[in-house]
Amino acid sequence: MNKDKIELSNNIRQLRFFAGEMTQAALAEKAGVSRQTIMAIEAGKYSPSLELAFAVADVFGIGIEEVFSHTVKNEAKGREDT
Amino acid sequence: MSYQVKRTITTLVAGILILAAYCAYTFGKSLSGIVAPGDLKFWASSMLIFVAAGIVVIIVIQIIFHILFSIGIAIKQRDCDEKEIGRAIEASFVEDEMDKLIELKASRIGSILPGLGFVAALVALVGGSSLEVMLNIAFLSFFMGALVTSCVQLLYYRKSVPSE
Repeated sequence: MNKDKIELSNNIRQLRFFAGEMTQAALAEKAGVSRQTIMAIEAGKYSPSLELAFAVADVFGIGIEEVFSHTVKNEAKGREDT
Repeated sequence: MSYQVKRTITTLVAGILILAAYCAYTFGKSLSGIVAPGDLKFWASSMLIFVAAGIVVIIVIQIIFHILFSIGIAIKQRDCDEKEIGRAIEASFVEDEMDKLIELKASRIGSILPGLGFVAALVALVGGSSLEVMLNIAFLSFFMGALVTSCVQLLYYRKSVPSE
């Protein structure tokens, strides 16, 4: 059985800063979600759907891989791959 | 606090009040001896009335809350123009994928209680309890299930919702 666990991280805070200190509310409005959802994603508390991840990336005009990255954790071996 | 969180709190408070009203009314009457033991018609009609009243009360409270929330936003943004206020109100009412996931997961957990309650009601009946006790266990477990759903929703909003 595959015991790998994927942990998502993101650069939304930095990207907002470089987008002229864009507010979470402004990003939320452009991505079509609530500010609470953006807050949760930014804090790593919620993993967005692929559609929302693309929508967030589109707001910044960059690729999804520049917004989100993942770490694969093998729970059985305890190793990490990025 | 977002609109969804405040709405959940409102629903939870309304649910608790309805439950308290039901208990005060039915058990008050039962304990004072107005209702004869074994009068299932009284219990069934009370439950039906409180279910119907509960739905109406929650809908009315939600509408009032919606209006008050909109007024609150409009007051906060009173320096902006009408269009911007409208946009701010619209943005706060957005229900997105996270809200739907939270609702789904919370209702899944909340739906365990009615099932357990039904089994507990049957066990109580087998154990020699009266039909009133069985009816009340089943009814209250449905009510508690709804309250637990709201509590779990609040917990997920506060902490995080597991994606798997």
